[in-house]
Amino acid sequence: MLSMKNISKVYQTEKVRTHALRDFDLQVNEGEFIAVTGPSGSGKTTFLNIAGMLEGYSSGEYLLDDVNVGQLSDNQRADLRNQKIGFIFQGFNLIPDLNLYENVEVPLRYRGIKSAERKRRIEECLEKVGLGSRAKHLPQQLSGGQQQRVAIARALAGQPRFLLADEPTGNLDSLMARQVMELLEEINRDGATIVMVTHDPELARRAPRNIQVVDGQLADFTLYQSREKDILTPNPQLNPSSNPAEA
Amino acid sequence: MFVHYLDLAWRSFKRTPLVSVLMVIAIAIGIGITMTSLSVYHMMAMDPIPHKSDKLHAVQLKAMDDGEEWWTEDNIPTQITYKDAMFLNDVDLPFRKTASTRTGFTVHMNSSDVKPFLESARVTSSEFFPMFDLPFLYGGAWTEQQYQSASPVVVISQSINEKLFGGENSVGKQVYLDDQVFQIVGVIKEWDIHTKYYDLNNGAFNSTENLFIPLSLIEANELATWGNTNGWKFEEINTFQERLNSELLWMQFWVELNNAQDKQAFGDYLNNYLSEQATLGRFERESPKFALRDVNEWMAYNNVVSEDNRLLVGLSFLFLTVCLVNILALLLAKFLRRAPEIGVRRALGASKSQVFAQHLVEVSMLGFFGGIVGIGIAQLGLWGVRSTYSYFSALATMDISMLLAAPSIAIVSCLIAGAIPAWLVCKTQPAIYLKTQ
Repeated sequence: MLSMKNISKVYQTEKVRTHALRDFDLQVNEGEFIAVTGPSGSGKTTFLNIAGMLEGYSSGEYLLDDVNVGQLSDNQRADLRNQKIGFIFQGFNLIPDLNLYENVEVPLRYRGIKSAERKRRIEECLEKVGLGSRAKHLPQQLSGGQQQRVAIARALAGQPRFLLADEPTGNLDSLMARQVMELLEEINRDGATIVMVTHDPELARRAPRNIQVVDGQLADFTLYQSREKDILTPNPQLNPSSNPAEA
Repeated sequence: MFVHYLDLAWRSFKRTPLVSVLMVIAIAIGIGITMTSLSVYHMMAMDPIPHKSDKLHAVQLKAMDDGEEWWTEDNIPTQITYKDAMFLNDVDLPFRKTASTRTGFTVHMNSSDVKPFLESARVTSSEFFPMFDLPFLYGGAWTEQQYQSASPVVVISQSINEKLFGGENSVGKQVYLDDQVFQIVGVIKEWDIHTKYYDLNNGAFNSTENLFIPLSLIEANELATWGNTNGWKFEEINTFQERLNSELLWMQFWVELNNAQDKQAFGDYLNNYLSEQATLGRFERESPKFALRDVNEWMAYNNVVSEDNRLLVGLSFLFLTVCLVNILALLLAKFLRRAPEIGVRRALGASKSQVFAQHLVEVSMLGFFGGIVGIGIAQLGLWGVRSTYSYFSALATMDISMLLAAPSIAIVSCLIAGAIPAWLVCKTQPAIYLKTQ
């Protein structure tokens, strides 16, 4: 579904050249739930922005559903983003002047969906996140967890096949975080592919597949076959100093 | 999507009411000033008789010696002599034509019911009415017989009829012009023209006359002219008859020519007439010279709209530009503050062109509001202009085209001012704001 080959992203100022990503290779298959971890400044968000076509890349090749993103115009990228990708942000990024209904409606309007169909989808998504009765509320009238659920409803309304979540529980307490995570798992079970950036090892453990980004590169790539494992398993080939027995 | 953008624009207006109102006021002042000067200019320059302005032609003759100069750009006088006017008026040609001049009387009813008042009058032929589209409320023009016999008959305007007879049908009734009794043969409806194009020698924007009497009365009643009289040579004039036979220029002449063939035919006739007059010794001239100008050419030739008016319009647009520069700065600040929201919209699938369109709709809405308020300010301005001098009473008004132009100019101006801020905000890199919001 998503294929990145040798993706590099360089930020250039007058004096400094910063490699946010270098030779980044990643293949994401349909229906996967991937947790992306790594230290601050390692390039996780840059990867997510490039994956979501919110940012360009300096070199390499990025295919989304076999479409070469690098060859698309801005309008084509906007269309593709609107149709295939849903975003969930750490800061929720709800539009404060719009009520919940209108916030969820935003991506549907840009897709040109008719009013009746919009209404059906919005109500369905708000119900799904447990906020059907709050449709006329403004974002500031909700708690952080509720706001994040609205953001998830907004991401789901467009029925995206690919959900990108940037620290979706970063601003939530542990209870709220768990609820949001359960919601994401449910969405994944329904068929959506999810890539989630997180600092939270507990959340990362719950994802079937983990990748680690260090210094703009894919440092660790471990596929969890089972959810019974409760800590991250370092790849002994890439990290020879680690002791697998401790796992 | 347009309705959605309008909704977003209205929400944005309400979100920052002070800045929004400030921008609307800035646009409104600019539009108000611009529309005030533009309306006056528009009324001055407006075609006064659009459906036949290309058919009506002012006639100019250079019945002068070779070497004699005139102050017009083509060296031809704008008026003609009485004898030329009467000859061309009476000659049998297949064109409508009319000679006329301005005179005036004290109007009274020989009773104490109506206070006598001075009123200017147009002495002309009966063709004047159909040529210049003067509609009759009652009666009609005088007959050929009344013209030939120089009968004291008069056509009065609706306002005079109202004043003297309370608006009732006054045809057949009598009115005193100076000391002579005139019989009313017709009443014309109000004649609403802004430029007195048929006689630009006596004030382009003066009111039209309210009394019309036959041309034959000039000689019969020895009528004095209330218009300009010019001459190009010294003549001993002691009697009224000598004045009529002189080379003094004080008559206006118009002809209605429906096509190029008519114009050519009438031009040939004038050529022959002037050659004949030269042969008769009236003036010494190698080749005849004349001019036929249609209404709009005639107005341009007479500089009805002066350079000062154009300059004033230019200055008012300059003022509008200053207002727009201020609006541009306010829009820039307002739009860039909204960059995080735009980042979210871009992430959710809005293209740059959709974001650009959204903001252009918003500035159009501001322009529309500014245009509407601007019309109010322009009305105040025009009221101020009208109150300075009665000359402007018909000119300092806004017709429907100007009423529609005001919001249109405001919207286009705002689109120009808003295009840069809208472009800058639509270029927002969404990634920058999504993390930092």
